[in-house]
Amino acid sequence: MTPLARLGRAATYAGLILASFISVFPFFWMVVGATNTSAELLKGKTSPGGALWTNIANFWAFADMPRILFNSFFIAAVGTLLTLLVSSLAGYAFEIFRSRFRERLFALLLLMLSVPFAALMIPLFIMMANFKLINTYQAIILPGVASIFIIFYFRQATKAFPHELRDAARIDGLKEWQIFLHVYMPVMRSTYAAATIIVFMANWNNYLWPLIVLQTNDMKTITLTVATLISAYTPDWGVVMVGATVATLPTLVIFFLLQRRFVEGMLGAVK
Amino acid sequence: MAQNSLARRGELNGWLFVAPALILLGLFMIYPILWSLWMSFQVGRGMNWSFGGFANIMRLAQDPVFLRALTNTLVFLAIQVPIMLILALLFANALNDSKLWGRALFRTAIFLPCVTSLVAYSVIFRSMFGQDGVINQMLLALHIISNPIPWLADPFWAKVVIISAITWRWTGYNMIFYLAAMQNIDRSIYEAARIDGVPAWARFWHITVPMLKPVILFTTVISTIGTLQLFDEPNLITSGGAPSDSTLTLSLYIYNLSFKFMPSFGYAATVSYVIVVLVGIISFLQFLAARDRRA
Amino acid sequence: MKLSLTRHRALGIAMAGISWLAVSSAMAVEITVWCWDPNFNGATMKEAGARYTAAHPDVTFNIVDFAKADLEQKLQAQLASGTTDGLPDIVLIEDYGAQKYLQSFPGSFEALNGAVDYSAFAPYKVELATVNGQTYSLPFDSGVTGYFYRSDLLSAAGYGAADLENITWDKLIEIGKAVKEKTGGTLLPIDPNDAGWLRIMMQSAGSWYFNADGSPNIVGNPVLKASVETYQRILAAGISKPVAGWTEYTGSFTSGDTLSTFTGVWMVGTIKANADQSGKWGIAPLPALDGVAGATNASNLGGSSWYVLSSSAEKAEAVDFLASVWGKDVDFYQKILIGQGALGSLLAAREGDAYKASDDFFGGAPVWQNFSDWLAKIPGVNYGIFTNEADAAVVAQIPAITSGGNVDEIIAAIDAQVRQQIQ
Repeated sequence: MTPLARLGRAATYAGLILASFISVFPFFWMVVGATNTSAELLKGKTSPGGALWTNIANFWAFADMPRILFNSFFIAAVGTLLTLLVSSLAGYAFEIFRSRFRERLFALLLLMLSVPFAALMIPLFIMMANFKLINTYQAIILPGVASIFIIFYFRQATKAFPHELRDAARIDGLKEWQIFLHVYMPVMRSTYAAATIIVFMANWNNYLWPLIVLQTNDMKTITLTVATLISAYTPDWGVVMVGATVATLPTLVIFFLLQRRFVEGMLGAVK
Repeated sequence: MAQNSLARRGELNGWLFVAPALILLGLFMIYPILWSLWMSFQVGRGMNWSFGGFANIMRLAQDPVFLRALTNTLVFLAIQVPIMLILALLFANALNDSKLWGRALFRTAIFLPCVTSLVAYSVIFRSMFGQDGVINQMLLALHIISNPIPWLADPFWAKVVIISAITWRWTGYNMIFYLAAMQNIDRSIYEAARIDGVPAWARFWHITVPMLKPVILFTTVISTIGTLQLFDEPNLITSGGAPSDSTLTLSLYIYNLSFKFMPSFGYAATVSYVIVVLVGIISFLQFLAARDRRA
Repeated sequence: MKLSLTRHRALGIAMAGISWLAVSSAMAVEITVWCWDPNFNGATMKEAGARYTAAHPDVTFNIVDFAKADLEQKLQAQLASGTTDGLPDIVLIEDYGAQKYLQSFPGSFEALNGAVDYSAFAPYKVELATVNGQTYSLPFDSGVTGYFYRSDLLSAAGYGAADLENITWDKLIEIGKAVKEKTGGTLLPIDPNDAGWLRIMMQSAGSWYFNADGSPNIVGNPVLKASVETYQRILAAGISKPVAGWTEYTGSFTSGDTLSTFTGVWMVGTIKANADQSGKWGIAPLPALDGVAGATNASNLGGSSWYVLSSSAEKAEAVDFLASVWGKDVDFYQKILIGQGALGSLLAAREGDAYKASDDFFGGAPVWQNFSDWLAKIPGVNYGIFTNEADAAVVAQIPAITSGGNVDEIIAAIDAQVRQQIQ
């Protein structure tokens, strides 16, 4: 290695180490914050303190936590399942089947992606009320199931799906839905893994819409609960950090479980 | 003949496959969009409204708050998106080197921020950037600053906090897109360039970047849409556009017009369509730019 | 095993029969209430509900907490959609927003004139919830203001309670300068993104952003101008320290970093949470504006009231509950004063023991009695329907105010934005 290259390499490492530190530090801060009292946290204390159990106890007592965690998990899990099914089906079909309207329809979908959600909440709410779905899981899950972004993502990924596989399956007499179910889905499992992370995160973090359609304590999600915690006249920041940790853990776990497939899945989508 | 019926059957199957998504989109997307489009021509307050033609569009031009929100949003767009995408590209390029020690570790660390919960990350940033918060403590300890920076109380620094927060959260996400695309580039091109004595920065600039053009375009369009709709961060970190509207965005203004102020849904809908038009124009320009360079 | 199962079933049928009888004698109802601070208004509502359930076992309560901004957004979205499905029976609304809801969604809230004796409440609380002679609220907590100060640190500079009694802002600025000189302490924390100071000062002289007919009263409003000038004098005197957001604000004076603040009575709880500062605090009346007609030493910041939704199926029970517990139970008000530090606006409550008690934390002063006296003196103003819009216009001009800009130009800019926003 030339001295210049060596210097470049050192700079690369320094940059990456700094970036990693900045990326990870807030997580460290959150976990350490959960062990400190509100006052210690606000003074910027970065060493673990002794208030962890008190904070956890206060957090647990704040609301019916098992129920709230169940709500969040249920909404995120069912929402992810339905979204993957409906949106991957549509993305696959957009790429595989030809129609005169296909490209125009697709362009229209992309334009719709740019309408801000705040503008759509009132009509959506009226519709949910007419369907008698206020304060139900369905009201939260349904509007996100046909996700334009995920349709787009699967359409891109399908470009890498080998045509020979489809042709072979056809010759074997498989129907179109069987090809999708038995050939496409297993082959594209990395794409599904990456989409699972993206959709699960979106569902888990959903804030504005659940806030509007959920009415009772027994339907609340963890995201809404943490938002309530910080809005008290005098928030207890240690407890808030316990809440933040609890709200972050599940998405972290899912990410680490699917991490290997995730990169492969993204790879397929940008081919 | 047989070919034709096969194609028709294919088309039918295609529509069947797309049908569930289209029905749901029709209900939960197209109908609300049409409603808000119709509303954007209505004037009035609360539940009393009437047809106002282009009155709402005229109102935009004279509304100082709208102009402030528009300026802020465009400033965020012009500064944050390039910084984030360039950082993402540089990290991806560094991590694409198979001889790099600790690749997976760096990749995971830099990607990690985008899997945090939205509320959690807002809370964390708000507490870190306090006057006596940990960021000021660190900068003071390192002697980078001599007085604490009023991060959230000063219009300039509040913008810096918002830009840092979004960049923190989404750089890793974009990096993964680039990284994935880079792994598709044929290694032998790099090898050939290296043998010809092309330096690393030139390989990056003349091989990697052109090869990634479609992905760069895609991430730029997605980030543009995201930033033009920016809502969560200024709502939760700088408590709704504080201080003094310095982080007020178009989406926040729509929210205020609908839910905080005396409800003015027609005007709020008009502001929403400003975002749609902006996304349309900017995406079009980006497509043009990408095409130009290719030619 | 089998036997016990049969017995269980028989028991079950008998139980079902009993509960059926109970239901037919009086319909069991559940009253749903939305509020926003589980430690404050949520807790007081729980206590009130428990009292009512004790007397009426068939009525139970479901109290739902949301973040305050979230609750307001939900309520507005729901009322705007025109569907009553899922609305609660009772909702807590901040006083500044009351007229906005009452006037933009007519018919959504229930007038309580028939059930509640409004002469028993602080007049300003009644006025703000009245539209066309009908009053819609059960007035809850007051935001009666006071001047909270560290008595130990101010006395170190030679100032005692008597020096702070019914003073003006200019006198306070003088004190602040003297304290700074003698001890180096900073008198006030100032949040540059909060227009609360202006609302406090305006109402203390019986003025607001709007006239009684709802038209803007900004350019040419002497009280507003005097308030902005006073605020500029405070900033120019070097006796304040900027803070960002609520946590920093409260952290500033509870840590001794700043020596005092002027705010609503609900701050008592936050201050008393620092048990180690017991005996080191004092409370004085709010300073008055100088040279303004109608200036007083009493004002208000925040505060909220309960409203019954017209769509409620349990309307009769909800109204009766508010009227009988919140409308007259003096003992209940003692309980929430001690428990949550909630100062209600029922005037009769001040005759109770808790209100008369003195507080060692505040140097043995009859804190609640004082606040109750000031409460009765708060000038009533019409908050109108655009207070949020006006506040936003003021906040947008705060950089100009802070940097000592021309007051007339600043007020003209506020006026222009408000007029544009309320068209």
